[in-house]
Amino acid sequence: MVTENRSYNAQKVIERLAKKVNRQMAGSLAACVHCGMCTQSCHYVLANPDDPTFAPAYKADRIRRLFKRHLDWTGRIIPWWVKAGSVYTDEELAELMDTVFGKCTNCRRCTLNCPMGVDLAVVNRMARGLLVSVGVMPEGVAVVSKDQWEIGNQMGVLKEDYLETLDWMSEELQQELKDPAVGIPIDKFDCEVVYSINPREVKYDPRSIADAAKIFHFAEENWTMPSEGWDMTNFGLFSGDDDLGGAVARRLYEKVEDLRGKKLVISECGHGYRSTRCEGPNWAKYDVPFEMESSVITMLRYIKEGRIKVDPSKNDISVTYHDSCNNARSCGMTEEPRELLSYVVKDFREMHPNRAENYCCTGGGGAMSMSEYTPRRLKSAVVKADQLRATGAGVVVTSCHNCVDGLTDLIRHYKLGMQVTQLVNLVANALVIEERVAIPVEIVPEVTAAGSLAGRKILVVDDEPDILTFFASVLADNGAEVIEAREGQEALLKARSEKPDLVTLDISMPGQDGGKVFEALRRDPDLALTPVCIITGRPELRRLIYDRPVPPPDGYLDKPVNEETLLLNVKKILKVV
Amino acid sequence: MSETLHFAEHRLQEMALLFMAIVYTLRIRWLLRFPAGKERQAPSGSRMITSKQGILNSWLNVAKPWAMESTRTRPFFYAQFVIFHLGVVASIGLSFVIPYLPSLLQSPLLVRLLQISIGAACLVGIIRMVRRLSVPVMRKISSPDDYFSLTLLTVWFFFAMLAVPNETAQGESILLIYFTLTAFFLIYVPFSKISHYLYYPFTRYYLGKTMARRGVLPQIRG
Ligand code: SF4
Ligand code: SF4
Repeated sequence: MVTENRSYNAQKVIERLAKKVNRQMAGSLAACVHCGMCTQSCHYVLANPDDPTFAPAYKADRIRRLFKRHLDWTGRIIPWWVKAGSVYTDEELAELMDTVFGKCTNCRRCTLNCPMGVDLAVVNRMARGLLVSVGVMPEGVAVVSKDQWEIGNQMGVLKEDYLETLDWMSEELQQELKDPAVGIPIDKFDCEVVYSINPREVKYDPRSIADAAKIFHFAEENWTMPSEGWDMTNFGLFSGDDDLGGAVARRLYEKVEDLRGKKLVISECGHGYRSTRCEGPNWAKYDVPFEMESSVITMLRYIKEGRIKVDPSKNDISVTYHDSCNNARSCGMTEEPRELLSYVVKDFREMHPNRAENYCCTGGGGAMSMSEYTPRRLKSAVVKADQLRATGAGVVVTSCHNCVDGLTDLIRHYKLGMQVTQLVNLVANALVIEERVAIPVEIVPEVTAAGSLAGRKILVVDDEPDILTFFASVLADNGAEVIEAREGQEALLKARSEKPDLVTLDISMPGQDGGKVFEALRRDPDLALTPVCIITGRPELRRLIYDRPVPPPDGYLDKPVNEETLLLNVKKILKVV
Repeated sequence: MSETLHFAEHRLQEMALLFMAIVYTLRIRWLLRFPAGKERQAPSGSRMITSKQGILNSWLNVAKPWAMESTRTRPFFYAQFVIFHLGVVASIGLSFVIPYLPSLLQSPLLVRLLQISIGAACLVGIIRMVRRLSVPVMRKISSPDDYFSLTLLTVWFFFAMLAVPNETAQGESILLIYFTLTAFFLIYVPFSKISHYLYYPFTRYYLGKTMARRGVLPQIRG
């Protein structure tokens, strides 16, 4: 036992290290021969060739030194000889945090390229967990973890918002298919399929829920979605917090058991699939009694069983496929998506390298929630950008919501002009819908599609002129009357004088920040009920809103926001069908 | 043969081997003290690969340069790896052949083969040292043990190469140095990174088992 003076947190980290390390990790920590073979497999290294601190072995050594110093006797006896070392101060913990959260996406590419079988990603996750256990983590990680612990999903989606969105999507489907029987069943017992989703679908991409519902409908599946425990994502995978991982997974498994569901189908999400299907049973120490399957496999099965028919010519686009790290390198799901694509598109262009050798989208490992590392992430994304560009495809398909965000961001950054989509969207679009005799139903939308925001007054508050102009023109083009404000005080004055139907509010603004403006709006008796949609590029700032003793906002969007997402959410908040 | 050389070839080697075996046993016990994680997940992936197949495949990874991008795209590096490790086997084997089966070394062909193999390994040792010293990443990740282990092996190869003919007519110093170095090598190995071959079966066992269950390894390439 080393007895030097340590900060409280450093001492706790050292004490907990021994409990965290299992045999697999001990092997990985002891076995590295510093051969450097893994170096070129990491996208961070390829994008930063002059910075050796990005090398996987170097990053692993930041953790390995602690292991050697405290758990391995060579490091105890002659620490300097094997570069063993300890941590003493909170600054050193912060440095370690920078490495394990900011320089590695836990993509596991180096693992598969290490001749010794050293699993750096697992070791890195363990180190994240140690730091999280003493509260040392990027703020975004803290916020998202808190949401998942307390609200039950990692985007802080409230139950009523979730149910409302399912309702909304049901109505859209009924309208689209002119069939009142179509819908999203909730909490139905004894179903063949219980469908779980990523909260991102509720917030930014409800269309994918509707698309899945459409596919289940045409496959005549007996299915349901749970009213609670529906989030199949698991921030425990990213934060290294096995307790959170276990609690989240258990919540989902228990719900499926409550509903007596036969199979849990997990929507397209790499980390969600890995957490729920592969790691969850271990974290939760739960012997799952039902089957679990990715929706990719479900859709493929429907096609093969003839339960749905698809026509690839309906997707007249050139596509490539991006394998999510978690799907490919940790769950072995590489062939099913390709087979499914072969049914729903005609022009498929393979990306190289691919499958388990594919490069990370660079948004993995929770990187999208750690805005302090965004410049580093986008720099490392040059590797992915080159890969995408070389395919010559117009659309990149991926079976992961995290990758959708990561890819969208890098495509914008490197001006690749590509679209990102998921298999569920392509399958739904390729569905061959046979004429059915439907009972006519009259569904009266509140507002017609054209000029659907007509008559709505929206106050857009943002200090960035580009964003202000973008939001204002998108909303105005859709018929809304738009009022603009560039800072907090102006926003409050305009809100009071104009009484808008909705306020879109940027959080970080000079002077009075969005949090204060939000609270002022909520406390003003005339404006308390005015819907507010929070906009921010930094998810960790969410606490500026949610920690306030006033009712929560009506919507929440992470920048960058595209036109579709903006309209979708604005219409949802304003209940415009 | 002098008594000193006889001692170096026999007693010294036996003591060093015994020491190594004891430390290795302790080392394995130490590793087994860490609890093994239990795998509860149902198998995934598009192929059914049994855990046994996965483990076997993972252990054989060392002989499959095509299996990993890192070796597939660096054939020269992989060749160095093979040459270096064949040199280790030859040099260790030599420490048994000289005292127990010296007649084998009457074959000039075998002597030449061993010398070429060990000499090539010595050359690779030098190349590796140059790489470790000149590539910034390699410098950054290297510990004193890394430098020392590589130097030790390279020097040991050199003397092993000279010791292959097992001739004492010109003096015993080469053989004495070789056997002393071998004994030191055996004693030092468990404390250094050279003991990686002890961990290899463990790390690759777990990786192979987990990744086979998940359908990741052996990799499908396209
Ligand atoms: S390839 Fe493996 S053994 Fe070599 S430096 Fe990387 S982690 Fe260590
Ligand atoms: S897990 Fe991925 S990001 Fe992390 S060091 Fe390895 S290759 Fe790099």
